[in-house]
Amino acid sequence: MNEPSQWTPNRRDFLALAGLSATAVALGSGAPAGATPGGDRVPADPFRLGVASGDPEPTSVVLWTRLAPDPLAEDGHGGMPAHPVDVHYEVAEDERFARVVRRGRAVASPELAHSVHPEVEGLRPGREYFYRFRAGGEISPVGRTRTAPAPGSGVGRLSFAMASCQAWYHGHFTAYRHLAEEDVDLVFFLGDYVYEYAINSGNLWRQGVSVGPAHDATVRTLEQYRLRYALFKTDPHLQRVHARVPWVGTWDDHEVQNNYADAHSQYGISIEDFERQRAVAYRAYYENMPLRRSSLPDGPDMRLYRRLSWGSLADVHVLDTRQYRDDFPTDSTAGGEHTDPGRSILGERQERWLDQGLRHSRATWNVLAQQVVLAQIDRDTGPGRTFSMDQWDGFTANRDRLFAAVRRYGIGNLVALTGDIHRHVAAELKADFDDPDSATIGTELVTTSVGSDGDGAPTDRYTELWLANPHVKFYDGRRGYVLGTMTPERLTSEFKIVDYVQRDDAAPVSTVARFVTEAGRPGLKREA
Amino acid sequence: MSGIVPEVGDLTFEGGIGRIDIRWRARRPYRPLVDHFAVYGSPDPRFRPSPETLIGKTIDTRLRHEGLGPERRTWYYRVVTVDAAGRWSRPAGPLRASSAESVTVSGRPVAVVGEFDRKGLELALSPNGYAQYPARFPDGADYLHGVSTPGADWPYLHPGPADRWAGSRAHTFRFRFDLPSAPEADLVLAMWLIDTHASIPGRVEISCNGTAIADVALENGATRGSLEGDATAPGSPLKPSVVELPVPASALVTGRNVLTLHKGEGSWHAYDALGVFDPA
Repeated sequence: MNEPSQWTPNRRDFLALAGLSATAVALGSGAPAGATPGGDRVPADPFRLGVASGDPEPTSVVLWTRLAPDPLAEDGHGGMPAHPVDVHYEVAEDERFARVVRRGRAVASPELAHSVHPEVEGLRPGREYFYRFRAGGEISPVGRTRTAPAPGSGVGRLSFAMASCQAWYHGHFTAYRHLAEEDVDLVFFLGDYVYEYAINSGNLWRQGVSVGPAHDATVRTLEQYRLRYALFKTDPHLQRVHARVPWVGTWDDHEVQNNYADAHSQYGISIEDFERQRAVAYRAYYENMPLRRSSLPDGPDMRLYRRLSWGSLADVHVLDTRQYRDDFPTDSTAGGEHTDPGRSILGERQERWLDQGLRHSRATWNVLAQQVVLAQIDRDTGPGRTFSMDQWDGFTANRDRLFAAVRRYGIGNLVALTGDIHRHVAAELKADFDDPDSATIGTELVTTSVGSDGDGAPTDRYTELWLANPHVKFYDGRRGYVLGTMTPERLTSEFKIVDYVQRDDAAPVSTVARFVTEAGRPGLKREA
Repeated sequence: MSGIVPEVGDLTFEGGIGRIDIRWRARRPYRPLVDHFAVYGSPDPRFRPSPETLIGKTIDTRLRHEGLGPERRTWYYRVVTVDAAGRWSRPAGPLRASSAESVTVSGRPVAVVGEFDRKGLELALSPNGYAQYPARFPDGADYLHGVSTPGADWPYLHPGPADRWAGSRAHTFRFRFDLPSAPEADLVLAMWLIDTHASIPGRVEISCNGTAIADVALENGATRGSLEGDATAPGSPLKPSVVELPVPASALVTGRNVLTLHKGEGSWHAYDALGVFDPA
C-alpha cells in the first residue's frame, strides 16, 4: 500500500480517479481505516479557502483543505451540503504532476466543516513535493510542500519564516504578500491566527472591505469560529503562503479568548461554560490548520505540543503555553505570587515532555516555537519593577526549570521563536536576567504581527520600556515577519517590515535589522 | 432534526424587570460536539422554532432575553441543541416564563427625576456634555423635588473614582423629597440607567436619611452612554439596566427626606430616570 506509483496521470486522469485500492481513507485524515465513502456531489468552486500543508517529517507530511464554496455562509458550513464528500488528493515530484508518487482519498464530513487532513506517508526525506485535491469535478490550486531531512542526517541549511497575530480587520496582509516570495523551508506561525472580537466600524481599519452584521459579534459558538477562520482565510496572500510552504503552527489566546488560562476565562464565564467554548474553538482551529490526527481535539482537550526534527541541524519543540497554564495570580506584585515554585505555564506533563526532549536532543540547535515572551521584561522604567503575568514572567519558576534543564543537558544553542506582542524584538536569554554580566544561555526572536495594531511605527510608547531591559537588543513597532537561516555554524535572523497595512497591500518590504547568532555562542550580533 | 443530538434538560427561568433569564442543563456536550444552543421564544405557547422566533444562540447554558419592557410579560421558550455537523436536537420545552413588573408601572410615583423612557435626553448636560460636569456640579447633584428641574439640576452622568475627567474621586448625588407622613410600608426606589461603563461600572451605595439601604453592583454596559442618550434609537449600542429596591419605611420620615447615591467605586453610570414609588 502506498508504494510510489509508476503511473503518471494527467489532469484528466485525476478527474477520473476515484475509489482506487491504494487510497488512504478516513474521516478527513486519510488514514487507511475503511471509513464509509463519502459522496461525489460538490457545489462549484469548493476550494475557495485554499490548500495547505504542514508538520513535515522525513517521509510524510500532512495536507489540508476545507471545502467551502460559500466561505462566509453564516452557519459556518461554507455552503456545503450536510453530507460527507470524497476528497481525492495526489502528490507529485513536479508541478505538472507528471511524476505522481502518492494519491489517496479522504472523507470531508460536516462534523469537521468539510476539512480534510490526509497524512501522506512514504515520501522521500528532504524533498520538495507538489499536491492538489479533487472533489467532484473540481480541482484545487496546486500546493508545494517539502519533507524534513532524514533523521540525524547532516543538513546544511534550514530557512524559515516567523509570523503571528493576523488581525485581518486591522490591515492588509502585505507581509504575507512578500513572505510568499521568500524561499523558505518552513513557516512557523506563533499564535493569534484569528481574533474573537466583534468586527465593526471601531476596529475595521483594513480599507476597501466591508463585513456583514454576523461578524459584529464576539465569537463564542462553533459556527462563529468557523466563520471567523473563513473570513481571515479569504485573504489571497495568506492562502498563497499556505500553498507554497509547509506550516508549523501553534496558537496563543485569541484562537479562543483574550488572556484565557487553561479553563479560566478572564471575562467571568464559568469553567463549565468556558470549557464548552474551548472545545468548539479547538475544533475550529483543527479544522482550519494543517495538523496531524494526533492533534484531533477530544472535547475541550487538544494535544498541540509536538516535536519536529530537521536532520541533525535542529530539533523544534512546538509549545502550548495556553491550555495547561495556571491562572493569573491574584496578586501581581513583582516578586510575589508569580514566583511561586508551583506555578507552570506548560503544565506538568508538557514540562516533563520538554525536559526529556532537551535531554535526548543531539541537534545543533534547539528551537522553541511558542507564543509569549520568554525573556524577563521589567515594564517599569523607573526604580520599581512590574511584570506581565500573561507571559513567562508570570511563571518564573517554570522558566527557571527550563533554563536549568538547558544548562544541565548542555544545550548550547537554544532559540525561542515568539509572537504575541505585535512588535519585533530580539533579546538574549540570560542565566540571571537581573545580572547583565551573567551568562547568555539562549536567544529569543520575537516576530511582530502580520496585521494586528494596524500600521504601527518604528518607535512607540513601549520602545523605551523594552529597550530599558539590557538584554533586549532591538525593537520595532511596524508590521512584518522574521526570516531565519540556520546552518551548523550560525543562525541569521532578518527582521522584515512594511510601512503600512491599513490603506492597501502595496507597501514594499524592507529589512530593518539583521542579527547573527554563532553556534556555540548564544546571543545576538547585529550586522545591519 | 435528529435523535443523535441530545436535547437539553432542566429548563428554568428567572424573571427580572424587562428581562427573562433562561437556564438549562447540557447533556453530553462533547459527543457529538455542541456547536451552540439556539433559544426560540414567543408569547404564543403553540409557536414553532423558526428564524422569526429565534431569540439567540449561545455556547453557555443560559441566555438572557432582554428588552421586554417594564410591564410583566409571559413568554414561552424552546431550546434546540445544534451539533458540529449542523444537526438539530428535538426542541426542549416549552418553558413558560414571565418577567417582573416595574414599580414604575404598578406603583404610584412619589417623587421622580426624569422620565422612565430609556432616554436620558431630558437630564442636565445630556447627551455628551460630561466635560462641563466638574464646573457645573463640583459637589455632585443636590436635587429638591418640586423645585429643581431635571434639565438643570440632575446630570445625565454620575461619575466615579475611575473617571479622571471628574477628578478621580467619589461623587455623591442627593435627592430630596417631602412626604406628608411617614409611610407604613416600604417605598421603592427605581433607578433606570441607559448605560454604564463596559468593564468597570462600579457600585452605588444608597442611603436614606443617613440609613444605609443598599450597596448595588451595577451591570456592565457599553461605554457609549457618556456620548449618546437614546437607547430606543434603532441600532443603539447603549445597554440599559434597571435597579429597583425597597426603601424601608423605617428609614423614611414625615417631611423632608434625602436619598444619597454615593459612587465610590468604578466609573460612571448614565441615568434614564430616578424615582421613589409607593408600590401599593
